[in-house]
Amino acid sequence: MNKLFSVVILLAVMAVSNLVLAGSASAEEMKMVGEISKITLAGDGTSATAILKDTKTGESVTIEVTDEMTLDKFKDKRIVEGDEIRCKFDKDDGKNKSKRFVKTAGC
Amino acid sequence: MIVTRYVAAFLGVMLIVATSYAKEHEGSEYIKENGYEGPKTCEECHPGTAKAFLETVHWKHASKVDHVDNLKAGQEYGMKNRIYTMCNANDIVNNLKEIPPNEAGKTKFSGCNTCHPGDQSVEVGATGPEAEETIDCLICHSSKYDFSKRKAVKAKDGKIIMTQDRSTEAALNVGRPSTKNCMVCHESAGGGALFKRGFSMTKEADVHAAKGLVCVDCHEAKGHLFPSGKDPNNWANDGVYMTCSGCHTDKPHKDDDYNRHTTNIACQTCHIPKTGGAFAKDFTKWTKLSNGFYEPSTLKKEVNETTPVYAWYNLTVSNTPHFIGPKGSRSDGKSKIYPFKVYQGKAYYNKVDGQLLSMDFAEPMATGDTLAGVTCAAKTLGIEKIEPVPGWQTTYFGSNHQVAPKNKALTCANCHAINGILNFKALGYNDKEAEKLTSPAIYFDKVFKIQQENE
Repeated sequence: MNKLFSVVILLAVMAVSNLVLAGSASAEEMKMVGEISKITLAGDGTSATAILKDTKTGESVTIEVTDEMTLDKFKDKRIVEGDEIRCKFDKDDGKNKSKRFVKTAGC
Repeated sequence: MIVTRYVAAFLGVMLIVATSYAKEHEGSEYIKENGYEGPKTCEECHPGTAKAFLETVHWKHASKVDHVDNLKAGQEYGMKNRIYTMCNANDIVNNLKEIPPNEAGKTKFSGCNTCHPGDQSVEVGATGPEAEETIDCLICHSSKYDFSKRKAVKAKDGKIIMTQDRSTEAALNVGRPSTKNCMVCHESAGGGALFKRGFSMTKEADVHAAKGLVCVDCHEAKGHLFPSGKDPNNWANDGVYMTCSGCHTDKPHKDDDYNRHTTNIACQTCHIPKTGGAFAKDFTKWTKLSNGFYEPSTLKKEVNETTPVYAWYNLTVSNTPHFIGPKGSRSDGKSKIYPFKVYQGKAYYNKVDGQLLSMDFAEPMATGDTLAGVTCAAKTLGIEKIEPVPGWQTTYFGSNHQVAPKNKALTCANCHAINGILNFKALGYNDKEAEKLTSPAIYFDKVFKIQQENE
């Protein structure tokens, strides 16, 4: 009986630990290839959102972009709507924060 | 104290004046009055520049090459005509064109020469007034270039050309090229962003970028002739070269032990410990993308994930159908140990003569049919008999960019530990020498002292 009780307690502790750890765990890293349907630059130019249409699922995904290099590419139109993008992002607190945002095309 | 303040104020004012002076292009008034009409406008103040530019590597995508084996004397080589397995195509066989419809009926424009700084209405390396008129000066010199205006379109005569931003606004913002101007083309080489050489010129990745230096601070061009390094895979050149010692001395460290290394070890070996990008491709099997087009199957890494291979290099290059890489040895008196990114590519060879075959990308991009691409390229090049057989080629790319911060450069134990990154036996040292070179005895006291200071 004592043994059974110990196992139940142990499982309960593990379950609670998992929940706590899951809450504090780092963001989930995602990758996708998609065509840009819309780019919206923030007024102060320090951030932007880009809506990508996932080429695999057709689903629209909103990506938040804050890195200087990609923002600069939006500003001088090196990256524009219609471009196909290879994107790596962190899914965190319901937001998709860009870690890599580059055109698939090369020469 | 007061004098110091006056001096500081004076210097501050001078800096502001110098900065604003540098920003103001002297031809601005002319451009405001007359608008911008391409090179013709630039020539008003820079006569002869367009004609001279046509003689450079940026325009010709080729030059005479004197440090590479097995090339035809007198012939020029470069992206225009080279065949190797990072690209497997070149400006000639894969000229800008409309790709045939894929399974979904979609077409697109593609070609190796999309980065050529002309409009592609004349061929790469063309000369004469018509060619001069097509030069896109602003793509390299304007800080306000609208890149959405540079795109492939079908002209009235059916030819596919690249349009340009020739707006007055772009022309009013000209100056020395920024890193961005260079990377517009140079980051996309090899099939995708940072594929080819796999380095990033951001302040996070490179100490020179962190200090505000731009590409042309090191590649300081005169008359559009750009100094370059002697990378085993960078053949075309403007006849001018550069090394780290152009800015740094041959005794750049405070530590004499480090300075002794510069005789045999290139700066890059310790200071560029990682690169990345594509490390293998298969041009015989293309991968279907979700957009219905195909691309060469490619293995790649992030820019800081690839550990170099180290080899002696005397700045001359072995070039055979299956190997492009450094020549040199410990004993030739000319070589140093350099770091390289080793790249391996699979493509078709011609069983008839053993030479690597090139590929026109139009058909493979639309249908995945790689043999159709090889047949088409052979036709363009006038090769009458081909028997394509798959094979691999190994290419060494010099690791010459992405200089790590000092605290990430290699130190004693990185090379001299028994599991260090240098394989001394492979580098030509005998067993006894290798044993000595991997003994803590040669670095223990120094490293221990540094360790104590940092604890």
